Parts: sequence; C-alpha cells; structure tokens
Amino acid sequence: MLEDAGFVDVEIGDAIDTFGGATGEEKARAYEVYGYAFRARKL
Amino acid sequence: MNELEVDPDQLREQVRDKYREVAVDPHRTFHFHVGRVNAARLGYETQAVDALPDRAVESFAGVGNPFSLRRLQPGERVVDVGAGAGFDSFVAADQVGDTGRVVGVDMTPEMLKKSRATADELGYAHVEFREGLAESLPVEDGWADAVISNGVINLCADKKAVFDEIRRVLKPGGWLQFADIANGRPVPPEALRDIDLWTG
Repeated sequence: MLEDAGFVDVEIGDAIDTFGGATGEEKARAYEVYGYAFRARKL
Repeated sequence: MNELEVDPDQLREQVRDKYREVAVDPHRTFHFHVGRVNAARLGYETQAVDALPDRAVESFAGVGNPFSLRRLQPGERVVDVGAGAGFDSFVAADQVGDTGRVVGVDMTPEMLKKSRATADELGYAHVEFREGLAESLPVEDGWADAVISNGVINLCADKKAVFDEIRRVLKPGGWLQFADIANGRPVPPEALRDIDLWTG
C-alpha cells in the first residue's frame, strides 16, 4: 500500500508482540497481529 | 457504504470515544498496553522517557517505535499524525532540537488538552498541537521533513486518503516513519465490517 501511495525505499522492522500480556492478546493471537515499524520516503 | 469496510464517520466517533477514555482515565484496563510500561516494551530510550512528566506518558498507547528505523535529525520539521497526549511528539522534539519544529495533530480534545499542558510545562516553544484529522491534516503542502505516527493509521477507514494526505504535507524526499499493527492471518469479511472489533 505504501508503494501504491507513491512512497519508495520502504523498510519494515521486526515484529513486536504489541498485545502480549494485555487483555487483547487472545484476539491478536487469533489473527497473528503484531506491531511493526515502517520507514519510507516520498519521491 | 462504498468499498470501505466500515463507515469512516462512525468509526472515527468510536475511536474518539475510546481514546477519550485513555486520556482521562489512563490507569484503567484496556485491551492494549499504555504508559511507561508500554514505552519500555516498545524499546524507547529510557532517558528520553524518564525526562517526560507523567501527563505526557500515561496515555501513550503506541504499538511500536517510529524512531527505531530512523532517528530524526536536528532542525527537521515533523508532523505527528494522531499525536494523542503528545508522547511521540515530545520524543521527536528532543531529537530535532530547538531549531526544528514539531506539529502534533489529534482529533480528541481531551488528548489535546494534555499535550498542550505538557508543552507549556516543558517550555517547548518548538512543539505545537493542532486539532485535526489524519485525512485532512492542518499543515501546509510540502512543509514536513518527516511524518511520524503510532498505532493510528490502522484505525482509519480510508488508509489511501491518509497516505495521500501524508504525501501532501511531506517535502520531496521527506520521510514517513510510523508504527502500526498488521495481521498475519486474513480477517474474515464479516469481522472487518464489525466496527467494535476495530477499537477492541
């Protein structure tokens, strides 16, 4: 989606267990939801 | 409804209600982590977090670290999309220094009240908070060297509109650095249309 929006040099960081230990953990596990850092540049 | 899974206005209202709770009652239990514990989990520099008053950190509900792939440079102009109580904006302010500028944008009045109070307390003249939406940022074209955001874009129904708006405010060559959640397994269409699942 970032490249479709006109961004280049897209970089994605490692997955982060954002919801681990929170009450939303079960739902997050069901859909393998993790946090990520993204970096991209406008042409 | 068009091709979007949920009505943008209805979703926006629910998100505003949820984060109003995070602003005024940050110590209750949410489905996500908040506050200093959350900042530590996400790898923020301890020194930067410890320097901030509780008001700036207690309502922090980010899902990652937008500074982990690129540190902001002194003098840069930065827009923080969905700034909340200002946590990432203040981290950004320290990185860009007095010669830089940070504009935090948020749609929740209770969050803006906290972020502005903290900016006053810290005496940060190079940080400003404006009321606005991710889809219509109150920032002029090509103003920003960098746009940051944390756990916000996933809560917007029209992500293309958000990315188009971010492109508008960025200079050519400017950086978008944000954190957000992504799912490894497909979410069923009926779940995508369930607005309650968007905000937990």
